[in-house]
Amino acid sequence: MKKKSCYVCGKEALSKNEIGLTKKLLDLKSKKFYCLDCLAEYLEVDTEFLLAKVAEFKEQGCKEF
Amino acid sequence: MIYADNAATTRISDRAFEQMLPFLREQYGNASSQYSFGAKAKRAVEHARKQVAAAIGAELSEITFTSGGSEANSWVLRCVAETYRNESIHIITSAIEHHSVLNACRAIEQGGGVEVTFLPVDDAGRVSVEDVKAAIKHNTKLVSIMLANNEIGTIQPISQIGAFLKGRDILFHTDAVQAVGHIPVDVDDLRVDFLTASAHKFNGAKGTGILYKRSGLNLPPLVFGGKQERGLRAGTENVAGIVSAGSAIEESISKMAEEAKRLRSMIEVTVEGIKEKIPSVRVNGDTKFRLPGMVNLGFNGISGESLMHLLDLKGVCVSTSSACTSGKDEPSHVLLALGLSEQQAKSAIRISYGRYNTADEAKVIVKAVCGAYAKIIDNR
Repeated sequence: MKKKSCYVCGKEALSKNEIGLTKKLLDLKSKKFYCLDCLAEYLEVDTEFLLAKVAEFKEQGCKEF
Repeated sequence: MIYADNAATTRISDRAFEQMLPFLREQYGNASSQYSFGAKAKRAVEHARKQVAAAIGAELSEITFTSGGSEANSWVLRCVAETYRNESIHIITSAIEHHSVLNACRAIEQGGGVEVTFLPVDDAGRVSVEDVKAAIKHNTKLVSIMLANNEIGTIQPISQIGAFLKGRDILFHTDAVQAVGHIPVDVDDLRVDFLTASAHKFNGAKGTGILYKRSGLNLPPLVFGGKQERGLRAGTENVAGIVSAGSAIEESISKMAEEAKRLRSMIEVTVEGIKEKIPSVRVNGDTKFRLPGMVNLGFNGISGESLMHLLDLKGVCVSTSSACTSGKDEPSHVLLALGLSEQQAKSAIRISYGRYNTADEAKVIVKAVCGAYAKIIDNR
């Protein structure tokens, strides 16, 4: 699968969690992806919030993470 | 945090909490014990039964406490079917019932000897009385239609269906879990034989359900064991939970008219506020026959699940019936039954206000929904 980079800062090789967060929080079919920091800035939340969400999604068995 | 998911569960009321508390600590006796310590617990259970019966126009002996609404629903469906185990019978229900009814119907259908008709609904989520009439067969033994839907809040014409079924030797059950404590419910007006409810939906504690069974009807037990609940439902009584149910239902009834008016106004503010910024928003379900505190909104072209998660990040709890948990993103069976496309069904969120929500919170929710929607759209 082609590696994805951050739409804002250009960070390369986004992690599965970063890709999963963009899909889960913005659009499952999103073509633009964000690194954790840029997504937090875009959504106006702390990165800790997003990491906590990742943990919750994993606990719920979501395959995006 | 703003909690706007009161159709999922409610915060226990202060009064119900205070009244149940002694039965978890000082008054922890078993209601079936014969000494005074147990008798006190028994009296508390009977007082709660009186409160519940009064709230729905039933007799004391017609109320049985269960572990929740799902148990009560399963009990009615499975055990009515069991009563006719040597016959081929027919049951009528609707396509938009709660899973505790739908899955119980499917289970008994798979067991053999039972045919189930799942009636369609109109685009507002209403079952037609004419469809019920048309579906009746010579061997129809039970009709089970919910009083108010848990996803869209649509209220069904239960009293009209009950009037039609009266005298036809067909039992009539309604799952009133979302309705009791929120809209007037009287078992005689509804003409039902069975009615189910759950305490945590009207500011009681979780873990206590209610089954109304019309006097004189036979319903075999679902749970076997001791002679609790007049031999109908075995298991040590959840005294504290039952006390909370009685207290909460009494409190809900006393505030009902005032609360309904307040909640309707909050829903109106919410819908109008969102429509102003997002004109394409769609209200799913009936706008007239609907629970006062609930609305289901569809946002074309975006995922309701994403919207729900973004609201969560801002401290706002709403729900979506379509959630990806294990890689499967299933649309709501209720919204599909209204005729919505899969994509439309996946674009919905449910907002359900309750006693502890304020008018200011409705305004905050409007702003949060519009903001989250913009974030999703702007990402395109």
